[in-house]
This record gives sequence, structure tokens and C-alpha cells, in this order.
Amino acid sequence: MNSYKFRQVIKENVGINNPVFVQILGICSTLAVTNVLKNTVVMCAGLVFVTGLSNLTVSLLRKYIPGRIRMMVETLIIAAYVIIVDVVLKAFIPDISRQLGPYVGLIITNCIIMGRAEAFALSNPPALSLVDGLSSGLGYTYVLLIIAFLRELLGTGSIWGFRVLGDWWTNWNIMIMAPGAFFMLALFIWVVKGNFMKEKQGAAAAGASRAGSAGAPQTASAGGKS
Amino acid sequence: MSDQKKPSKLRRSLFTIFFMFAVTFVFIAVLSLIYVLTQDTIRLNESLVVKRSVLYVAGLEVPQTGIEADASYQERVEEVKNEDGEVLYYEILDPAGEQLQSYVVPVLGAGLWGEIESVVGVEKDLKTLTGIEFIKQNETPGLGGRITESWFKEQFRGKRWPLSVVPEGDPAGDQEFQAITGATNTTIAVRSILNERLARAEEVIQVSEQERQ
Repeated sequence: MNSYKFRQVIKENVGINNPVFVQILGICSTLAVTNVLKNTVVMCAGLVFVTGLSNLTVSLLRKYIPGRIRMMVETLIIAAYVIIVDVVLKAFIPDISRQLGPYVGLIITNCIIMGRAEAFALSNPPALSLVDGLSSGLGYTYVLLIIAFLRELLGTGSIWGFRVLGDWWTNWNIMIMAPGAFFMLALFIWVVKGNFMKEKQGAAAAGASRAGSAGAPQTASAGGKS
Repeated sequence: MSDQKKPSKLRRSLFTIFFMFAVTFVFIAVLSLIYVLTQDTIRLNESLVVKRSVLYVAGLEVPQTGIEADASYQERVEEVKNEDGEVLYYEILDPAGEQLQSYVVPVLGAGLWGEIESVVGVEKDLKTLTGIEFIKQNETPGLGGRITESWFKEQFRGKRWPLSVVPEGDPAGDQEFQAITGATNTTIAVRSILNERLARAEEVIQVSEQERQ
């Protein structure tokens, strides 16, 4: 029963209710940090950490948080974890921290985090919430990594900063700019929905409403889309 | 909500305020602790970034470890400050640590999206560049952000200002440097910041040299 629930949560977040290509959440960072693979990896690691722990914390406090100020408390918790990530990066990997610049601080505006805290952690036990947060982060991460891989490859002819395509390759500058991310993301969603989610359309909708008791993903929009 | 429940409503309001206060207090305490524990490392990292950059633009060897970089900075670099303690420029000494070899000046100005902060090395003639390093920049990653790439920075060694721009990949003369394709605004910004600030730095250095004599 319990392990079934865990598996269900992971399946939802990574696949049929993926935060990026199904719920279309966290799009600003999907557009902003996917032009270079290295930055994407650090950003995603930070996001997984923050979603996991903020979900856990909100869930631990869920019986005490007064309903009226729950969003303030959630924001406070998320902000605290984001600051921790920022400080740790600055202290231990200053080079990457310098490259990421303001993006780390912007993790706080990622509505996947707020969405999961609001929609899931407030009504579920801590362990399950932690898994939910981590798997949401993972669902976000692998989509971003795929997009970043393609954008860096097409835009600069390199992967992880190493040139892999020869001199014959002409860089697609548009891939490095935000519009390139729009095209890539749209193509990605098209391919995924066209090939892998066709007959699951009905199942996904059913899954979404069934998950209502376990924290409905569609209420994630309560966190606001950014 | 109804009238007879008024006391409990008051108590709930008080609890709400107390709760917010307590949660804020706890989180701020934890964050302060983390901040205090890491601020020395962060400050050290930040000062090392500048020290490494100064060594790099002066054309000196930049040691791998922080301690070695710090040591060779102490040995070869003299900071010249104004009354407020801000660094006006750096004097690079010869290997013996006595004679003036060249200068390094902090150069900053507006880029496309934000401030570009850099250090630039100049020879004793105050005209010939020995190198450039960008310490802080917010240019478009992958386009203007490429100013931090080594080919872009290395091309400045031995160039003389005032500088002008040639397209990326074209041969550049004595007073020219290659632009970055797709990042015209950033390139132009770098050019005008350099020309403007190096002219000002020339004056500053000459004045302070005269004062010292």
C-alpha cells in the first residue's frame, strides 16, 4: 500500500503529470538556464534540493500552519532553502556560482516548488512529501537536461563546453537565446505527447482526478504559473 | 466565526501572529548561522577571484591553489589606494619585487544587461595592454557572455588603445580586436568602456606618480 503510493507519486511526477511538459510549470527557468549544460545541471541540483526539503518541511509543519498564512510560511521556507543553496554554491563552487549569477536566487520563483508545497505537502505525510518533491525535481531535471543538451549542441557546437562538432558546423545563435528554448520546448512537448502519451491521454486525466485525494496536481496552478 | 466563538477567534489570530513570528525567527537564526559559518570562505573566494585576475592580466603565472596565488600576489602586486581605501590601480613589480614593471587598472562600465567589471593590465607607457579579465558580467550567456572565453581575452595582449573593432575571425591590427558574432552591443560596450576608462586611468596614474615624487 505504502510503497504503491510512493511508486505512484514518482510515476506521476516523472511521467504522466510531469511538471514541465504536462503541467507547463517552471517555464521561465526552462527558458533561461538551458543554453549551457553545465549551468543547467547545477540549477537542477539546486531545484531538487529545494523542492525536496521545502516539501518535507511544509509537510512536517502542515498540522500547525494556520490556513490564512500558509502561503507566507511556504514562501519563507522556500526562500530559506534557496538562500542556503546560494550561500553553499558561493562558498564551495564559486566559479559556477559566478556563472549562474542571479539564476540561483530565481529558483524561488519556480512555481513547481510552491505548487508542490501547496498542492501536495500540505495534505500528505512527510516521507511521501519528500519523495514527491524530489521526484518533481527529477521530472523537471531530465526535461531540462535534454533541452539544454540539444540547445548547447546546436547553438555552440559543443557539449559541456567541449567542442564536439567540427569547424563545418555553423552555430545556430537563436538556440542560445530565449526564443530557441521556446522552439525546443515546443518540439519536445510535441514529440513526447505525440509518441508516448497518445493512448494515455484518458489515463492521465483519470490519474489527475484520482490523485485529488492525495494532493491534486491540477491545483498546482494555485501556486501561480511562472 | 459566530459571535460566541469570539475568544477562540482572538486566540487563533494571536496564534497566527505568534506562529509567523516563530517560524521567521527560527529560519533567520538558521540562515544567520550558515552565513556566519561561510562568510570567511566566501570573502576569501571573492578576494581570490580579484587576485587571480590581477596576476592573469599582468601576464604572470597564476598558481592553481589559493594559498600560492595569494603568496605570489603579495610578492608581485602593490595596491595603490585613495583616501577611502578603494583600490585606484595596482602596481606590478618585477620578479625581484622592487622595480615597477607594469600596471593593472580596474575597469568598469555599462554592458548590455548590467555592469561589466574587469581588470586590465597596461605597460609602463600606459598605452599597451598586457591582458584583460572580466570579473563580473551579466551579458547574454552564449553570446555576449563569450567575452569570458579565452580567445577573446587573449587577443588583447599587446594591443594599444584607443581600440576599434573588426568582425570575428578577421585579422586584427595593432589597435583592433575581434568582435563576437551576434553580440554587437556587448562588443561595442567593451570597446567604449576600455577606451574611456583607460584614458581616465592614464590620468589617475600620472597624477599619483607625480604626487609621490
